[in-house]
Amino acid sequence: MSRFLRKTLSILARLMASKGSALALIFLATITLLAVFADFLPLNPVAQKLANALKGPSATNWFGTDELGRDILARVVFGARTSLLTAGGAVAIAALAGVPIGLVAGFFGGWRDAALMRFVDVLLALPAILFAMAMIAVLGRSQAAALIAVGLTGIPSFARITRAQVLTLRKRDFVTAVEAFGGTATYNMFRTILPNSWSPIFVQVVVLCSVAILLEAALSFLGVGVPPPTPSWGEMLRTGKSYLHEAPYYAVLPGIVLTLTILSFDVLGRALSGLLEGRRDAVVAPKAEEVTS
Amino acid sequence: MKTQFLRTLRRLGFLFLAATAPVAIGGAGWSAPAQAEEAALKGGTLRVAVLSDLTNFDPQQFSTVNFHLIKNLYDSLIEYTPEGEAVPSLATAWTIAPDNQSVTVTLRDDVTFHSGAKLTSADVAATLAKAADPERGKNVYATMSIVKDWATPDDQTIAINFKAPVPQRQITDLLQFTIPIEAKGIDTVETVPAGTGAYLLESRAVGQGLTLKANPNYWRKGQPIAEKVDFTIFSEDSSASAALESGAIDLVYGGSSRSAVRLQDAGFQVLRGPGPLVQVFRMNSTRGPFQNAKFRQAFNYLMDREGMLRVGYAGLGEVVALPWAPASPAYDAAYGAEFGYDLDKAKELFAASGLTPEEQSNWKMLVWGNDEPSVVLSQIAQSALAEIGINIELDVRQGAEYTEAQLAGDYDATFGAVGNVQKFPSRVATNSIYRVVKNPVLKDPHPHPEYVDAINRVNTTSGPDADVKAAYDHLNRVLVETSFAVPINSYDTGLVVAAPNLGGLSLDIDNLFVARTVGFQ
Repeated sequence: MSRFLRKTLSILARLMASKGSALALIFLATITLLAVFADFLPLNPVAQKLANALKGPSATNWFGTDELGRDILARVVFGARTSLLTAGGAVAIAALAGVPIGLVAGFFGGWRDAALMRFVDVLLALPAILFAMAMIAVLGRSQAAALIAVGLTGIPSFARITRAQVLTLRKRDFVTAVEAFGGTATYNMFRTILPNSWSPIFVQVVVLCSVAILLEAALSFLGVGVPPPTPSWGEMLRTGKSYLHEAPYYAVLPGIVLTLTILSFDVLGRALSGLLEGRRDAVVAPKAEEVTS
Repeated sequence: MKTQFLRTLRRLGFLFLAATAPVAIGGAGWSAPAQAEEAALKGGTLRVAVLSDLTNFDPQQFSTVNFHLIKNLYDSLIEYTPEGEAVPSLATAWTIAPDNQSVTVTLRDDVTFHSGAKLTSADVAATLAKAADPERGKNVYATMSIVKDWATPDDQTIAINFKAPVPQRQITDLLQFTIPIEAKGIDTVETVPAGTGAYLLESRAVGQGLTLKANPNYWRKGQPIAEKVDFTIFSEDSSASAALESGAIDLVYGGSSRSAVRLQDAGFQVLRGPGPLVQVFRMNSTRGPFQNAKFRQAFNYLMDREGMLRVGYAGLGEVVALPWAPASPAYDAAYGAEFGYDLDKAKELFAASGLTPEEQSNWKMLVWGNDEPSVVLSQIAQSALAEIGINIELDVRQGAEYTEAQLAGDYDATFGAVGNVQKFPSRVATNSIYRVVKNPVLKDPHPHPEYVDAINRVNTTSGPDADVKAAYDHLNRVLVETSFAVPINSYDTGLVVAAPNLGGLSLDIDNLFVARTVGFQ
């Protein structure tokens, strides 16, 4: 078993040892599996049955139907795919751009640090939702545009966290030793410092997932997210709020799923942060054999 | 239990008040508020919720967002009753020449503008000059196409001459559409109202609302009843409904059909006017597959009109295959039956178009994202297309972005409402997609000359009745054959939902909001 796999399993075991993080993990795993294998389920998120519009939860439609007679459960499940895909893509964009920026700024310092950090400050100064809306206005309304817009808003957080981590490691003996043995700057950044900076970056990945899901939902809620008929939790909230009197389940059920997903990412991020920083109160104390294995 | 009891009590109270209200509830009928009832109504401040801010104060920019103001700041030369009968307003009389080539209008002599100046024929002449100007005439410009010139023999008389004999209904339509603006205020009318209406503008907070105060010199005796009218802009229909239910406002103007149905069930008064809009699927026949007549005609059968009306407008309206309301002289219910929902027939026509599947799918449907019914209708149409193998994308745009594309004709196809569907048939040409000249979508020269000819034939046939009917029938047939616009259903614009303690609600032929007769019981 590789060291990485062993470490991952160990972290998972520790997370599962805490009720909160175990529930969050199970919920997110279920949502992810449903999103990935939604095509194999007997659910159709776009099939309309106008005569069946706004019917309450029943044996046939567990979450009821929307104004076009579509199955809300199917739209929630396929909406998970939209949310997770946007979150995954956005986090990837943010990490792939933000981490190198932070690495270079922290490692070299000087004018490069100043220039890159001022660029990051500019990004940070723009309200995320406004910036995302402006991006969508330029790129047009599509899932790809939402993904890019949300991703760009996440760059500053990765850049700043990575830079902070690099600054603490930059003067450490093992980095100086590599330099003394002729290690290039690129080698030092990517092979020496980056592998020792993964913990906060990984925590940020989890945290940004929840932010990205929320931002995507907000964009859809404002009517500039994924275009219909593609299901999206935010779009369901937007339409569902108009039917709160006649069909409260329409907005409430997708809202609950959205809330639980964000809450789960948050709980998981918090637990991971404590675990990776070595805080013993983050999750229940590991058993002795887990520590020594 | 207590809540249930209170609810029942409240409903009983509402029912009693509603039964004594001087207007019909739910559009079951109409009666003008009697003088005695008006006298019994009390004044006060009428708090009205609207769902959008106005564009400006020009009454010739006859847009639905201005509907709550026009008939409160201004008056027309004549009015129509809800049944379509012309009655005096600022004009006391109008005499149509035997050859139908001119009309002489006599004005009231006791009318003043908000500035205090007296209304004269010079003001009407200045208004007509603005209307006849292609740049300044806005929505009235198309109606002025029949007018040759006008003269003002004295202060109270204006004679309007026509280019050719004009049917009587078209003449009264013109007079009803003529809203005098004070001549000296005509250049600034977009920012400063210059009318004779029952209310004066007191203040306006852009995007939030405005307040009107009663015109002390108003010419209709005993009106207006309410001393002030406060308009508050709500961004959400549901918020406006909630405000009405909580008693924070007295009336919602222009809310959704769905909310109206729900509030009517809860005991509020719902007033449906005689001037509905017709939702129309507009196709740009100068672009892509829409250049093909068979492809366009297929949409007559593709649309599940019944389902669209039910889902989009809570069933409040009528399914239609022609752009007419029942009050229109060209209305023909038979077309509704002929062009029923029939996917097989639609499929046959799509196949008969000779277009490849790729060509048939090579377009986008522009959608007005702020308009819930438009989003719903577009998705129903998209789903019906997908069912027969035509997969298209929706291009959802919000607010001004949509309006700009729609008015500039920058789209392949879109749903959009048309008005003036209860008047003389050629008035439909005031709507952008139906314009015969300077059509922003279809451009000049008009790609469907047979439609232009049909409108001209209607405009120039003033009798006998059989000839007039033949002209209407011809126009109807041309409309479904050219199919550059496929009507879906009529629906209520300017719906009024009022608290049970309001009385004197009156209907306008165009469903504009008339506050002057409204008071508290």
